[in-house]
Amino acid sequence: MIAIEGVGKRFAGRDGGAVQALEDVSIAIRPGEFVAIVGASGCGKSTLLRLIAGLAMPTSGAVRIEGTAVTGARTDTAMVFQAPTLLPWADVLRNVTFPMRLMHRAGPGTEDAARALLARAGLAGFETRLPRELSGGMQQRVAICRALLQQPRILLMDEPFGALDALTREEMSLELLRLWTETPMAVVFVTHSISEAVLLADRVVVMSPRPGRVVDVVEIDLPRPRDFAQEASPAFQAAAQRIRAHIFRRPAAKLAA
Amino acid sequence: MIRRALPSVIALAAFFALWEGACLAFGIREFLLPRPSVILASVIGAWPLMLSHTLATLTTVLLGFAASIIVSLPLAMAIASSTTIAAAIYPLLVVTQSIPKVALAPILIIALGANEAPRIIVTFLVAFFPLVVAAVAGLLAAPPELIELGRACRAGRMQELLRIRLPFAVPFVFGGLKVAAALSVVGAVVAEFVGADAGLGYLIQTSMAFFRTPLAFGAVVILALLGILLFQAVSLAERLLFPWSSGAERPALAA
Ligand SMILES: Nc1ncnc2c1ncn2[C@@H]1O[C@H](COP(=O)(O)OP(=O)(O)OP(=O)(O)O)[C@@H](O)[C@H]1O
Ligand SMILES: [Mg+2]
Repeated sequence: MIAIEGVGKRFAGRDGGAVQALEDVSIAIRPGEFVAIVGASGCGKSTLLRLIAGLAMPTSGAVRIEGTAVTGARTDTAMVFQAPTLLPWADVLRNVTFPMRLMHRAGPGTEDAARALLARAGLAGFETRLPRELSGGMQQRVAICRALLQQPRILLMDEPFGALDALTREEMSLELLRLWTETPMAVVFVTHSISEAVLLADRVVVMSPRPGRVVDVVEIDLPRPRDFAQEASPAFQAAAQRIRAHIFRRPAAKLAA
Repeated sequence: MIRRALPSVIALAAFFALWEGACLAFGIREFLLPRPSVILASVIGAWPLMLSHTLATLTTVLLGFAASIIVSLPLAMAIASSTTIAAAIYPLLVVTQSIPKVALAPILIIALGANEAPRIIVTFLVAFFPLVVAAVAGLLAAPPELIELGRACRAGRMQELLRIRLPFAVPFVFGGLKVAAALSVVGAVVAEFVGADAGLGYLIQTSMAFFRTPLAFGAVVILALLGILLFQAVSLAERLLFPWSSGAERPALAA
């Protein structure tokens, strides 16, 4: 469904120098698949998501969705950014429906659908609140509802739970899994947390530090539905260990060289 | 509200009491510095005159202020939407700001005749610049994440400007509006000094020519009140129309 083919991304620096953020990244993502991307800070994870979302263009290679090269934002992809990025002037309900209204896709049922999503996210009764009246975790849940309301076939999530406390984080990742099993959408989920990646994903893509390359793709063979009890299982431990080894080996090798 | 206003009320009362007392104690002549009570009495004594001059000035202020809003916002949007337009317009704007408006007023009166138009234009010229600057700053202040959200929703440049940048600029615009409101009173008086047959600026000039100092002081006080009133009206409009804009907590909506 999503074909990332030999993608490279180079940023021109202010001083004439350039940063190679991504180099020769190839990943194929199947419809409905849950893929997690892990890697050190600055290895190009957000950049990769922005390329899939059509918010930036690769400097080499191509991103294709169902055979068509991505040249701009598409209606069947939705993005949850690293920060909630809510409109400060709009209440929760209008924030959730904002993309639909902007894309002229809002219909008579849109508002009810938004209310239903908010209720599932534990935000019933907060529809008319302003973002600044919500906690950070609640704001991020609004941002997730906003993406889900678009009924995307590809949901791109950039460390959506990064700013949350551990408890909220666990609760929300399980809720995300429930939502994902109910809807036919592929999820590309960027995270810093190895255990979060293993718990959620069908496959975990491990990236190297700059320039970002795919160093391993780990299949997670844990039965679904997943829950935190599985963290103790040998399969979970083995997968987490394999990912950890990749992430911590690279810099050490560099130091030795 | 009352508790917060109390210190300023006391300070103001003390100021006027001191003024009154000093004038009495040192026997200061009335045409040099009239006592507050004398000023009040002269304003009340001449109230139909005062009212007509106040209305004349208010008309100029409001029309000039309105003109500055009508011109500034589209201008700011044009400047914010294109660096080429910004490069073309900004120098012109700075030039209009470097010209002393007092110097411009007589020229405008000769060109346009002794009517309301030159006074409105002078008021407009004094008031509009800070509004443009504030609005442009607001339009460009939208965080890049919000702009990216717009692009992820396939928003075009116009949609980005109207649906994201413009609402984000509202608090900035109101900051500019408050400055412009105060400045439009200044602008109107400057214009009246140069050429008018009515208005508080005109009243101050004619009163001083006949050493009717209390009346001139009365006009000054009314001008100050006008400025305060206009400023408060803008703040009120902001609180009513854009409750999310005024950083303060929202007035108890639960009630
Ligand atoms: N717009 C840009 N201009 C120049 N350089 C950029 C730009 N965006 C990203 N980079 C560079 O590309 C590299 C990858 O950035 P990216 O944001 O994708 O990292 P990341 O993996 O998401 O990091 P984090 O986990 O900290 O969010 C960084 O070195 C960054 O400096
Ligand atoms: Mg990132």
